[in-house]
Amino acid sequence: MLFSPRFRQGAKAAIPIWIAFVPSSLAWGIAAQAHGFHLGEVILMSAWVYSGPAQFAVLAPIAAEKSSLQILLAASLMNLRFLPMSTALAPYFRGVRLWRLLPAAHFIVASSFVIPYLRFRQEFESRGGATTDQAPIDGQNNLSFFLGVGITSFLVWVVGTGVGHEVAQGLPGGFEEGLKFILPGYFAGLLVIDMRGRVLPLICLATLVATIPATLLSPDWGWIATAIVVATVGWSLEQWMKRA
Amino acid sequence: MDETRVTVILVMGGLAYAARVLPQVLFIGNKFPEVWDRFLRYLSYSFICGIISNTLFVTGARFDSGTAPHRAAALVLAVFVAHRTKSPVTGMIIGTTLVLLLSWFR
Repeated sequence: MLFSPRFRQGAKAAIPIWIAFVPSSLAWGIAAQAHGFHLGEVILMSAWVYSGPAQFAVLAPIAAEKSSLQILLAASLMNLRFLPMSTALAPYFRGVRLWRLLPAAHFIVASSFVIPYLRFRQEFESRGGATTDQAPIDGQNNLSFFLGVGITSFLVWVVGTGVGHEVAQGLPGGFEEGLKFILPGYFAGLLVIDMRGRVLPLICLATLVATIPATLLSPDWGWIATAIVVATVGWSLEQWMKRA
Repeated sequence: MDETRVTVILVMGGLAYAARVLPQVLFIGNKFPEVWDRFLRYLSYSFICGIISNTLFVTGARFDSGTAPHRAAALVLAVFVAHRTKSPVTGMIIGTTLVLLLSWFR
């Protein structure tokens, strides 16, 4: 399965992801170093958690030795987005044995989800299937393609964060302010490019502003509660307006 | 390596893995409702914005009034550049440069 033609196809398709992962992994490695993380911790988190936004979310709380519950709750809520991604991919791996799916699931992230998912849909529709129940699916082949995307992107991410950590160690003093800005600046850019519609920008703006007083009121839980409340209110309003 | 940190990282990774693997085991053939997909997306975005705000403007339990205007200006510039160029890296580089210059000339 590994290094099969289908795996190599996946690896080729992942090249845009590698290019996107280089700056973000470097930025995360640099930020982790600025927060006092050791290289081993950086590699461990990148390899085992493998989730850019969640890793970003927990850097400051871990460095500030906030409660483990708060850190885990924040990370878990962010990682809930893997549920729909994994659910959407599941039908295309039909027939694959469970012991093969279990390790493969680790490579599901937003980027490595989109490319295989769109590819599987295209291939499936080209065979004339409207739903996944109506046409044959080669789960083994699909899994090879997915692994080609997922494993190579994973390696770029892990190596990139390690390199970022080492690069940051070599920076002279006076760059602390810049180091602190790198990751928030990068994520803000990612969000604004990815935004569609009117609700999401409003949610983001409201959270940006409301987080400050909320954190001052409750340094540990203020920002988490604010993020949950703002997202829930925004989503509920959108649902209500759709029905009205 | 700090033992507490390693434990937190291990548990965090375990929970992330659970979110990835459970649908593969339980939901084969099912579809995740679009409405919940949207909610989880909003929640992620909201979290990221909360963290951005927290990281840039709050230190401990105190509003960082000394650096907040510079960082806010850099954030606005980074977002503007990223939006115009469709490149978050370019936005980050421009924003970081501005925040560095402002901190050196302060």
